[in-house]
Amino acid sequence: MAPATVSDSVPIETAHEDMIHDAQLDYYGKRLATCSSDRTVKVFDVVEGEAQKTTSGHTLKGHTGPVWQVAWAHPKFGHILASCSYDGKVLIWKEQQGQGWTKVGEHTLHTASVNSVSWAPHELGAMLACASSDGKISVLTFKDDGSWNADIFNGHAIGCNAVSWAPAVIPGSLITPQSQSQPTVPSQGSAPNQSNSVKRFASAGCDNLVKIWGYREDSQSWVEEETLEGHTDWVRDVAWAPNIGLPRSYIATASQDKTVLIWTKENATAPWTKAALDPSSALASPVAGATMATAVANAPAGKFPDVVWRVSWSLAGNLLAVSCGDGKVTLWKENLKGTWECVSDMNS
Amino acid sequence: MGAQNINLLPPLVESGQFEQLVQSGQTISATTSPYDNSLAVFLSPTTVSGSNSNSDREEPVYFASYDVVPSSERRLFIADTQVIFSMFHGMLESAKSREPSWIQTPEALELMRKFSVDYVNFIKECWIHASQPMPRTDGPLQFSADHYRSLYSCFSLFVVLYLPEPGYEDAPVGEDLMEWLNIHFIEPSTEEGDHLSSLDRPWEDEEFWPYLKRVTLRGLTKASLFFFNTLLQHPSEDLQDLVRTIIPVVESQPRLQNFSAERDFAFASRKWKDKVKAIRIEMDRVPEESRFDDFENWWDSLSDIVGILEGRNPVIQRVCEELGADWKEVCSAWGIFVDSRLRRQDLVDVAAEVLEIMPADPTNLEDMIHSALFSGKPEQALRYASQLDAWLSAHFADVMEPLGLLETDENSESELSKRDEYVLSYAEYLHSDPTQWKITIAYMYSCGDIGRERGDEILVRVPLRLHPSEAPSTPEEAIAQAVKEVSEVCFNYQREAVRRTVCRIAAQTCVRQKDYGLAVSYCISAEDWVSLGRVIDSILDEYVHNGAAEFAKQASKIAPSVQELQSRTVSEAIFVHRLIFAVRYSQIHKYKLEQDFVSAASDIVTLLREEIAPKSWWPVLLCDSVELLQYGSTLLFASSDAAELLSKLEEISIRASQGSGDDYLSVLTRTIKGGGEKEALERLKVVRLALARYFARCTIGSDRHALST
Repeated sequence: MAPATVSDSVPIETAHEDMIHDAQLDYYGKRLATCSSDRTVKVFDVVEGEAQKTTSGHTLKGHTGPVWQVAWAHPKFGHILASCSYDGKVLIWKEQQGQGWTKVGEHTLHTASVNSVSWAPHELGAMLACASSDGKISVLTFKDDGSWNADIFNGHAIGCNAVSWAPAVIPGSLITPQSQSQPTVPSQGSAPNQSNSVKRFASAGCDNLVKIWGYREDSQSWVEEETLEGHTDWVRDVAWAPNIGLPRSYIATASQDKTVLIWTKENATAPWTKAALDPSSALASPVAGATMATAVANAPAGKFPDVVWRVSWSLAGNLLAVSCGDGKVTLWKENLKGTWECVSDMNS
Repeated sequence: MGAQNINLLPPLVESGQFEQLVQSGQTISATTSPYDNSLAVFLSPTTVSGSNSNSDREEPVYFASYDVVPSSERRLFIADTQVIFSMFHGMLESAKSREPSWIQTPEALELMRKFSVDYVNFIKECWIHASQPMPRTDGPLQFSADHYRSLYSCFSLFVVLYLPEPGYEDAPVGEDLMEWLNIHFIEPSTEEGDHLSSLDRPWEDEEFWPYLKRVTLRGLTKASLFFFNTLLQHPSEDLQDLVRTIIPVVESQPRLQNFSAERDFAFASRKWKDKVKAIRIEMDRVPEESRFDDFENWWDSLSDIVGILEGRNPVIQRVCEELGADWKEVCSAWGIFVDSRLRRQDLVDVAAEVLEIMPADPTNLEDMIHSALFSGKPEQALRYASQLDAWLSAHFADVMEPLGLLETDENSESELSKRDEYVLSYAEYLHSDPTQWKITIAYMYSCGDIGRERGDEILVRVPLRLHPSEAPSTPEEAIAQAVKEVSEVCFNYQREAVRRTVCRIAAQTCVRQKDYGLAVSYCISAEDWVSLGRVIDSILDEYVHNGAAEFAKQASKIAPSVQELQSRTVSEAIFVHRLIFAVRYSQIHKYKLEQDFVSAASDIVTLLREEIAPKSWWPVLLCDSVELLQYGSTLLFASSDAAELLSKLEEISIRASQGSGDDYLSVLTRTIKGGGEKEALERLKVVRLALARYFARCTIGSDRHALST
């Protein structure tokens, strides 16, 4: 196969009036939601990797500041989007038959910009975690009638930048057949596999820390379970990898300190260990652009040429996309020796 | 592993303006797509102030695939070879029910050989198809004919070396190797032969001796005999004499396939070698000065040929080098001339010796795969194969593992066996084409827990054609068809949890489309009682929002589900209860529409007395009874039934006065536009009045009854 691949596609013209901060594909990858500094959220249908030309998309208006992030709920809850903004609000949007997209909820408990929203794995029910510059994290638990309970607690001093949920099923315990072994208790709501599932997420903060939060059923509260120390500047993004069939858990974090750390936990009781992605390994690229080569050459080992803004896992959790401030997206895979290699380098 | 470089087309940023982009506080961001192996890529600011409103820009989002999506002939190739893959796995599955040693039996090996030969034949077909100059309706070839030729040569070599016919594992391999070489690397060319045979004195052509050497080396007896015969016209009598001796020797070279016992073959080969020695002795008698013709030293060339027949290794090697032949030819000729009894297990040493002097071409992956296979290094062959084509490494590894060629131990880091590693990597590539999900998961589900986990993620996302534009028929039919298809696959691979998730999503979609019948049956199928409850609430909401007629229509669709549920033992009785209520309540409205007021009245009482109706629906039922209480001349309720209605009415009034009105009045309240609890209670007063009148009528009525009896 050719070493340099050209990805030819018809771009979706979002017609946002300002820069896009986030774009998220829905569960099936059939719809694209984008949000922008122009204070709107837009939704497009995607057919075969291209925007449907017949529809210009829907524009969702309601925020009064730049919209930082959007998140799709699992389709078993319906077509639902959450968005968060500089205006300190989290809005919940729902597409209803015949009515299009309407705002069905407004979460206003934060006192500063809300930087990140993330839906819990569907097995846990409709739950949304939000991270704010006010230093707090909130978790909304939706009820059948669309109302919600909110838990809000201090997360990171100075501010929280991102949240990401752990898979609902603890790695290694997923082989248990769901049907026969656990009779479900209807009153406990929509989590059919309660004893196996876990409510847990990671947050990234301006205190250079990554924190792991777990829900305690006995005290009905969120507890800080672990703190991951390793970054030397703001942690910009955190992404908990989906289960990949191993007893191991992975978290990727991206930071202002120009590093991406991969945190690995061998099993439920083991400690988290960290490893930095090493972009200098990407130099093996036969046609790596001169910019990349020189930039990397100037950066110390284990460091990216610029701030790393985003990390995103593929569906199977075996591929990590890293967006760096140097204008490149790199794709990473863990090789058989357990080291992370850059497998692809995407140029704008 | 070198990183792959992907460029966007059209470019997001014009070349040369990249630095400008970064300096203006922007970079590209990407988010992975669950649909296929692609990323959605867009420009985003790196600083909050980096956003600069620019009305010229469209702020586009690109989709960039990190795999080359299979198209045209490649799709066909993938789909058809998967059929062989599935049959092969069917065989391996059935092996699990046998003795563990069965896989090593001739019967099993015969089957594995058969499937591998199927692969070879199929690749060959594809190569021929790709080679034909013809208009291609499904677009230009994605992979060249030469690519399929490479796959063909590699897979057939694998079969020759590692999957001999059962019972022939220890047979000499030389002839098989030479046959493989002659099929895949045709030398000398037919054109050369045609040219030379058209000449009167072909030996005068400079290509004559090289040609004759090559056909000798390749064991192409027919061609070599033809040209030896032309030499009978050569001016040198010495040469003529020698050729007269050589022809019968070449003609009589023993071929393994003509012998039933290897012992006989070995004996014949030894005797034949003696005859070759005799030629050498005869040659040496030719005086030095007679060894030339007008063009060259024919004796030297003939000596090379005799050297080949004698099996002189240095001669074969030198001749090959002169002819531009490579190590493969030396190894194959070795098995014919140097050691005609060369075994597969000894080939490794021969290959090592030859490759030491004539190494494989490191720039040619096909050659590297061949050399690894010759050298008995299957894992190395896999590594090169994975660079040539993920298809090849996956299918190699899939056959190699049951043959015991690969370590089956899982890698401690990835916890994947070698086989699973290569098969999964192929499956991941297949995911670049989501329409091939069935093929993708077939490979994934053959790869243990990790593969199952990945396959599940794909299976739960098989589009249910939720958007009307994608549906070939009505949305309901489309969903039903898609769910059925996925359910079947789930059943085949025993992915019950996946099936349930898919049913849950389908149920939610059906509710949106008000297809409650289907929604209920999906909830039941998923044994998702919580969602079932929610669907029933939606149906009951129809009553609140759209009135009795619409409600009755919708609820009638779920009636068949009640029977289905009652026929199974379900612990979630509460939801069944609610379902029964919805159905029976709709039945009341149906009775009313059909003017069967007796049945309607009787059912209202039953629903209340047996507490099938939830408390919040009691007031609604009571309001419904008003019409019946006031019905014409006939008394529809027995007085005990009327008393039941009254007692429920009392309970509601008392509880409402105690502050629990919400438990009872919420539904009725919602049916009154702009109304609250007060209005609801007002409405219940009408019921109370109707009941009072009814009791009055009962008193008179009972007199009438008494009179008539």
